[in-house]
Amino acid sequence: MARIVHYINQFFAGVGGEDSAGTGPLLLDGPSGPGRRLAELVAPEHEIVATVWCGDDVAADKVDEIVGLVRSADPDLVVAGPAFTSGRYGLACARVVAAAHQAGVASVASMHEDNPGLDEAGAAPVVASGEVARRMAPSLERLAAGIRRLLAGETLTAEDGRIGAAARLTVVTDDNAATRAVDLALARLGGDAAATEIPLPRFDRVTPAAPVADASTVMLALVSEGGLVVADNPDGLESARATKWLRYPLEDRDALAPGDYMSVHGGFSTAWANEDPHRILPLDAARELEAEGAIGGLLGEYFVTTGNGTSVANARRFGVEWAADLRRSGARAAILTAT
Amino acid sequence: MPPGPGWQYAHVALTRLVHQVREVGFGQRTSFADGVLTVSAEQARGLLADEALAAVELSWVSPGQSARIVKVLDAVEPRSKGPGGGGIFPGFVGPARPQGSGETHVLRGATVVTAGFLPRAQEALVDLSGPAAALSPLGATHNLVVEFTPAQGAQWERVDAALRRGALRLAAALAEASLDAAPDAVEELPSPSAGARGGDLPRIGVVTNLQTQGSFKDVFVYGRSFGAGLPTLLDPGELDDGAVVSGQFGHPALKNPTFMHQNHPVVDELRRRHGNDVEFAGLVICPEPVEQGAKELISLFAAKVCAAAGFDAAIVTKEGGGNADADVALKMDALVDLGIQPVGLYAEMAGVDGTGPSVVVAPERATAMVSTGNYDHVLHLPEMEKAYGGEQFALVKAPAAASFEVPTAVVYCALSPLGWGRIAARSG
Amino acid sequence: MERAGIPTALLCNLVSIAERVGAPRIVRTRGIPYPTGDPSLDADAEKRWRRQLVDCALEALQTAVDEPTVFEAGQARSSTPPKMPVAAAAGADHA
Repeated sequence: MARIVHYINQFFAGVGGEDSAGTGPLLLDGPSGPGRRLAELVAPEHEIVATVWCGDDVAADKVDEIVGLVRSADPDLVVAGPAFTSGRYGLACARVVAAAHQAGVASVASMHEDNPGLDEAGAAPVVASGEVARRMAPSLERLAAGIRRLLAGETLTAEDGRIGAAARLTVVTDDNAATRAVDLALARLGGDAAATEIPLPRFDRVTPAAPVADASTVMLALVSEGGLVVADNPDGLESARATKWLRYPLEDRDALAPGDYMSVHGGFSTAWANEDPHRILPLDAARELEAEGAIGGLLGEYFVTTGNGTSVANARRFGVEWAADLRRSGARAAILTAT
Repeated sequence: MPPGPGWQYAHVALTRLVHQVREVGFGQRTSFADGVLTVSAEQARGLLADEALAAVELSWVSPGQSARIVKVLDAVEPRSKGPGGGGIFPGFVGPARPQGSGETHVLRGATVVTAGFLPRAQEALVDLSGPAAALSPLGATHNLVVEFTPAQGAQWERVDAALRRGALRLAAALAEASLDAAPDAVEELPSPSAGARGGDLPRIGVVTNLQTQGSFKDVFVYGRSFGAGLPTLLDPGELDDGAVVSGQFGHPALKNPTFMHQNHPVVDELRRRHGNDVEFAGLVICPEPVEQGAKELISLFAAKVCAAAGFDAAIVTKEGGGNADADVALKMDALVDLGIQPVGLYAEMAGVDGTGPSVVVAPERATAMVSTGNYDHVLHLPEMEKAYGGEQFALVKAPAAASFEVPTAVVYCALSPLGWGRIAARSG
Repeated sequence: MERAGIPTALLCNLVSIAERVGAPRIVRTRGIPYPTGDPSLDADAEKRWRRQLVDCALEALQTAVDEPTVFEAGQARSSTPPKMPVAAAAGADHA
């Protein structure tokens, strides 16, 4: 009998919603939440021996701690999710299975193809779940089938519902690349419009959010990738390849005085931004809108990072974190300035 | 139908007289007989003599030996068209005049290799045995390694130029020893009939980008930097005769040394299949600049040249990593826009575990790509008895002959953008 | 953020890149180093331009879109290129 450890978030563990999103991680004996049904589906051959849960706000940064708890239960296989389209939960599931896989423990996650966490699963397989928790039952069935195959020593493929980029593995070929290139040209000229050795990168197409019905009732946020920080950059925002974002207060402020703020962006001349920080963050104009009642309010802080060679994975994480933060603080729309 | 007057070179074909080198050594005089190549070290040092070089050291390093060459710079296949070179390596050894016709003697299985420190050169490595030997063309050739000590105070650019000139002279002199020997093989090479359709076969050509990004990252055509050039048709025989010479020392696995231009794998493949399942439509060479605007101009221009030469499809090759992907992508899209089917040769940068985004710049409209392997794939190299080219392999801060782990990226030509290699990355 | 149901208006100069990566609501600005400014204008005119950009962003946020859509804030632009502030020009780092 194989030992399975299941990773879920605070919500599916029954601990609570957004109010508990900052808690955990914690190890529980046996299955919990959706793990109970999953345990039935993989029984009697396999057993969920423990569950680890963590709150969505902190999980992505506590992956080492989570994986430590998971491994303390001595698993043969780690399973995470289903996370559906939930961004923070998906990111955590992906990072947990990626880390476990790298540590040599077989792992699989379940989430929807549109989940922004998908690309962070590394070499660990991910199987498709439904879009929303209402699709829990069929999602668990597919996940259970994947678990059985993995524990039988097999590899998951698209037929098992595997999604995400498969690892690019080095192979030795019969023909050299020149011969294969001419073969490929002939295949294309012969009408095979899809033939290629490198499937093109998947583009993360987002469905636009619904517009705000009436801006005069909505709290607006200001967000920028222009590297605008307070003078002397005390928090050390990077000038390129940013790994973090920062927040600075706007309360009691109607304007950004030159000298109080500076841009640390390394991708352009910051002279203009430093001469007038409003060229990066339009606080003065936003305050006018607020005074005139054109918007319901302006969020009392702005978010900033540096968009200069920043990895897609980090940028996606910033987006997920901003969205969660804005939802909690009540902001419902954002102006993003980009350099 | 005969080609028009603008395609004069299309009439002529080149004959390669191939002499297989089976054994090598040093001796009183340079000679070639019965597959044995003997080199006079004194003559070789004379050919390499230059005021920028204080000393040179010569060693034969052969396949199967427990040997490693580090800091590999250029590699040249010995070739000659007659006494004094007969016009070989035009612009360096012979006068800068069009070549690519007549007869060319080839010492196959031998190379002249320069190895040592130059600024901006990224450390390249060749193993003559073990798992990396099969990944480099120099793992299977007898290599006359030229190590050097720069003269006191010599400018690095002068050192680089002296090595290039010296290695080409030496390569020509070695092949000259074979002029009277009976060849092991006579290879009659078809020449593309640019612009003129000869039959019903699909016309496939090749577009080759030459990385021209300043000193130590430059490629020479007829002795001149191609940096300020525009895409142009070249007869493939001109490559055989050394019209394209490498001075590009970045990205070891993704570089195209002179040896590789002399033996361009896509050109060889198109020649081999010419008249069978393809018609070889031609070779277009392009500079590969740093700046985006120049990349765009050159790409549009290259597509225009391919269209004028009547290509149905074009194999697009690059040199270097990162920004060089953009040159391939832009050309592929420009070719699609002119109704020409492009195929791009891409080395992938997929990370150690193969899960990273593997292509730095992918085309937007074109989609046919061939993989030449994963740059980041880790190799475990065994300890060697002897190393040439330097004491240390600086990348891993280890003695050059030691056992260590390196990415495939450091192995000379392992991910050859010209299509030499037999590895690829596959989704698994 | 869009995926989480928060509509965004992206103010940027490199509109083609924003379209390619799929940003839904894009407002075109005048230069990479100053998304919400235009140093070629005098102070008052620049402030007016910024207000127009923000008004345009607000309109975008209230507009339903299916695909990347570019919104244009209208104003005749100055014909003189902006001068870099002299004191701060040294050490500008172009990546």
